[in-house]
Amino acid sequence: MSTIEENTKDSVDAAVKEPGAPEKESEKIEPGLAQGSIIVSFVIGLAIALIIGWIVFPALLYSEKEQPFDFSHEVHNDLVDGCESCHYFRDDGTFAGVPKLWLCRDCHEEVQGGTADEETFVYEYVWNDREVPWRIYSKQPDCVFFSHAAHVVKAEMDCETCHGPIGESDSLKPYEENVITGYSRDIWGKSISGLNKKHIWESMKMDDCADCHKEAGMESSVQTKKDACFVCHK
Amino acid sequence: MKIDRRSFLSLGLGAAAGTALTPLPWKLTDDLSIWTQMWPWTPVPQDGETTYVNSACAICPGGCGITVRKVEDRAIKIEGMDGHPVNDGGICPLGLSGLQLLYGPRRIKSPMKKENGKWVKISWKEAIAVVSDQIDALRKNGEAQAIGCISGLRKGTTSQLLERFLLSLGSPNYMSIPSSYDAYELAVSRMHGRRMTAGIDAEESNFILSFGSGVIEGWWSPVRMIRAHSVWKEKKAKLVQMEARLSNTAAQADKWIPVNPGAEAALAMGIAAVIVKESLYDKAFVENYSRGFEEFRNMLLDAYSPDKAASITGVPSSVIESLARDFAGASRPVALYGRGNGSQPGTLFEAMAVHALNAIVGAVNRPGGVWAVEQTDDNDWPAIQMDEIAKKGLKSPRIDGLDPGSEKDPGSLVSRFSELAVSGEYPLKALFIAGANPCYSFPDSNAVKAAFEKIPFIVSFSSYMDETVEYASLVLPNHTYLERYEDVPAPRGMGKPVRGITRPVVSPLYNTRNTGDAVIELAGKIGGSVAESFPWGDYETCLQETFGEEWGTLEEEGFTSDSDFSPRSWEEAFKEDSGKFNFASAGFLDSVREIVPEGDDGSYPLILVPYDTLRLSGGYIGDPPFVIKTVEDTVLKKRDSFVEVNPETAGKIGVKNGGYATLSTPKGQVKVRVNHYDGIKPGVIAMPRGLGHGGTDEYLAEKGVNVNELIGPIPDPQSGFDGAWGIRAKLTRA
Amino acid sequence: MKKGHEHKNPKKYGMVIDLDKCTGCGACMVACMAENNVPFKKDESNKLDSITWLRVYKLTNNKPYPDTEICYLPRPCMHCEGSHGHSPCVSVCPATATDYSTETGIVSQIYTRCFGCRYCMAACPYHARYFNWWDPVWPTGMEQMLSPNVSPRMRGVVEKCSFCYHRYQLAMEKAYFEEREDLEEDEYQTACTEACPAGAIVFGDLNNKGHAVYKLKSDPRAFRLLERLGTNPKVYYLSSREWVRRQGDNYLEHEETGKARQKVHH
Repeated sequence: MSTIEENTKDSVDAAVKEPGAPEKESEKIEPGLAQGSIIVSFVIGLAIALIIGWIVFPALLYSEKEQPFDFSHEVHNDLVDGCESCHYFRDDGTFAGVPKLWLCRDCHEEVQGGTADEETFVYEYVWNDREVPWRIYSKQPDCVFFSHAAHVVKAEMDCETCHGPIGESDSLKPYEENVITGYSRDIWGKSISGLNKKHIWESMKMDDCADCHKEAGMESSVQTKKDACFVCHK
Repeated sequence: MKIDRRSFLSLGLGAAAGTALTPLPWKLTDDLSIWTQMWPWTPVPQDGETTYVNSACAICPGGCGITVRKVEDRAIKIEGMDGHPVNDGGICPLGLSGLQLLYGPRRIKSPMKKENGKWVKISWKEAIAVVSDQIDALRKNGEAQAIGCISGLRKGTTSQLLERFLLSLGSPNYMSIPSSYDAYELAVSRMHGRRMTAGIDAEESNFILSFGSGVIEGWWSPVRMIRAHSVWKEKKAKLVQMEARLSNTAAQADKWIPVNPGAEAALAMGIAAVIVKESLYDKAFVENYSRGFEEFRNMLLDAYSPDKAASITGVPSSVIESLARDFAGASRPVALYGRGNGSQPGTLFEAMAVHALNAIVGAVNRPGGVWAVEQTDDNDWPAIQMDEIAKKGLKSPRIDGLDPGSEKDPGSLVSRFSELAVSGEYPLKALFIAGANPCYSFPDSNAVKAAFEKIPFIVSFSSYMDETVEYASLVLPNHTYLERYEDVPAPRGMGKPVRGITRPVVSPLYNTRNTGDAVIELAGKIGGSVAESFPWGDYETCLQETFGEEWGTLEEEGFTSDSDFSPRSWEEAFKEDSGKFNFASAGFLDSVREIVPEGDDGSYPLILVPYDTLRLSGGYIGDPPFVIKTVEDTVLKKRDSFVEVNPETAGKIGVKNGGYATLSTPKGQVKVRVNHYDGIKPGVIAMPRGLGHGGTDEYLAEKGVNVNELIGPIPDPQSGFDGAWGIRAKLTRA
Repeated sequence: MKKGHEHKNPKKYGMVIDLDKCTGCGACMVACMAENNVPFKKDESNKLDSITWLRVYKLTNNKPYPDTEICYLPRPCMHCEGSHGHSPCVSVCPATATDYSTETGIVSQIYTRCFGCRYCMAACPYHARYFNWWDPVWPTGMEQMLSPNVSPRMRGVVEKCSFCYHRYQLAMEKAYFEEREDLEEDEYQTACTEACPAGAIVFGDLNNKGHAVYKLKSDPRAFRLLERLGTNPKVYYLSSREWVRRQGDNYLEHEETGKARQKVHH
């Protein structure tokens, strides 16, 4: 404890204390020590809060969910001609998203490579004609309308821009479900602070969309001077 | 170290400061707001691939083509089929709501048997066995004729299968429910001397005299007629509407002629009388292609001179005269028959009066007129096999005492159903119901219910829990029209040949079965000659064999049609003397001309007439939730029905607008609210069909009053069809 | 990498409804409900809380029998342009839940953004906005027919006609996929327009000379509702009956219809 702190504390104490008032139990503690405990308490509080906020809260907020079985984009990417071989556009311009069983069945009617995951897929899903209940990392809330055609065809964006280098991954990362909203962690982004975003694909919040649209000169909203709400909402 | 108050506060302060330095508050706020935006109980519809399936609507006989939008396996929306000859993309509120019938709470999910007043689910095998046992017992007992069937379908293979089933069992009591179209067809057939179907080339007409036909309110083929109405507006054709109430059709007509209710036939004859008297008729037609004109002329001039017609109809003679001149002077006039949506048959005299009016201006088999086309048998099925029991059964008279082969339409049985079913020639012992809800939609529905209570064995094929099912002993639920194959015959009054097909848009949701299949299976179970009469493995095979080459097109396009079709010219249609159009045909000139409504005018000073609107389905399927939602609050408020009363009449009774009143007729008494409506003739009360349903659907049941409880049938002596158009009534302040 | 987005032709979607053809059948109302996942309750006879994005009103000329006349008037959202997109509702929304798009001229309503203050309902002179007093409930099985293209709403938010904006989204998506920038007239049509058996509703871009609405809006029978409020609505009505046109706005006895519109425009 420094002297300056002691002095200050003394003078404060003197100013507060009424002359002749009976001394309380607590005040028997040495002033320096009391002051110290306040600071320590503050620091402890601060530390606890920081630990809770940065470590405990994210751990509690996200519940890790397993995918039905593992999948290697890398292996498949080598065998097919780009993302759109499986993640294709339908004739009406809508995007099919994660492929359904009928597409996988072309190759996986029987076990091909012999990994345990593939066996699970073939025996439990293909043979039982059961669609795989994949958890979708990039699933947006129901109020969102997203057009892949507008981004991929019209704006000529790459898949990686928003989805990252998922095509090079050898296995599926754990799906972290936000226990409050039910959506994937990937929407908010891996960084719990939401700061120091380096790539577009690191988060998929409304502001991320809006920033990009604004940058591209889309300002049709009378209220916000950004892009109009109905462009991405339904 | 001891924790005192200050350090505790400091701890809190530190925690607060620390929290502010973490993402927790912001992230939590964001997540909580997302959570409140998407409550877990708000459904999130699954997305997927959108596909479209062409099919046909079978809710009413309108014959529209539909396109169902699907997302994966779910049907999302019904739309009108583009390019369909009947509706070309348009669709009515009921057709749009078909998915609410498919997915709705009204569905019957499995065959059921009533045990001690409660429904018990049973298997199809058991259900078929129960029915065949009952039928076997009746047949062995020599009571084959006591098996009846009421079918809501007049045409199409399912109705033909049902009729065939009854004949193969040995019963002449197959009853179908006739409409104004059947009455008109009968009138045309009598006057042309051959079995005819009647089409109206409405789109080409330019002067339309509508005798109470709700042209834009569901008449015959609802969407087609609304489209025709728009064509009339575009080319400035004239529509004259004659009825006691300013209906929506009257409101859109160029002229509304308020006529005494029930006097439409007299008005038609009055107009014809002027045309004849002033020699405005089509001489080429009358002189070359008709007979009996002299008798017709004499009758008209005698009974329907403008003054006489004016006194019957309440329409000034000057108006009748000017209508006659305008009608006869138009290049493509046509007169339309059938009140409201045309579901009630009316009298043969009235139908003939309207057709005679068409004939004297030559509006027969020419553009814009009535097209009379000879009926051909729809199928070439093998002859029905009959064992001794069946032959014996078919020697019995029908329940109305007529010979089985009687000329009188089987539709005539339903107008006297409640009386005949229990005290006809013999009581009915078993009854099949298909595509009909007699306990709701037959006139005097309470008497119908009483009759149903006395029939020991009733089998319903209904897909929906309705009033009639409540009286059944067994239900063999049909697929809905969105789950089954079935042919949809040409809509009423279409003129050009069209056939549609319903198909399984979605796989059947429940343990239901196509009635066609159920009948074939039932026949198989009964065995013997009954089984031999149904040589098809299943109903789909029957359809394929029946339509032969046409089936392929039906499967592919959803419909077949012949857009180039035109009826035979006068020359060809009426070339033989005997085939001439007969103005004095049997039952016209000497028939009962007017139906006097039930009740004496002393006790019942007013007249109650039902009316139809496209927002209320008066048929066997009640309004789905979307449609009942469109009903105005001057028609239905909470559970109260409104009746339309002219303010002048209401003033005399002393009922305020919106006030409660007691409405009584010789058939019953109900509490209603009064809607002061300027568009109705004083002394007349109007009430919509389609309210007052029972059943279990909370979106439909117990709303308002069923007008059929208040009006009884009056069989037309000529056709036997129900000729009632209203009833005498009394309204008192409640 | 990203390609800019140019506003070549700002569109102004609007509607022309021919009241001479309208039969009051209600198909437009039902088509709208079925298209847009509009909820329904067991009792819908209280029209103040009955959600009908498009409502058909019954007008009468208030004359006694037998001179009475009736006309039906379907009323969707008017998608008012007001002055430069400041429609009555957009101007008052404190949550940016309703907005005007200069690209399409459509007034949007974002349900998840709305917090239910209902200022917009008070501001709307056409009663085109509806409040969800209850959470929607679909009877068991009936949620099967919900469309994924329109987000179901929850209790406590306002909703209204969107000119079936999701159909525009899907049409544009298809156009982008086919590397087109513009839509044909028939590629984007509202559900009510398609369903109307009378063909009384015509929908299209009021700025586009090739679209039917462009010509129809100048029909001598044309009028708009409450034009003199300056709401600048994008829904036009056609009626050959003067009494109907007069009911479209408040007129003094000596005033004629058809003049108001020109006043506002100058």
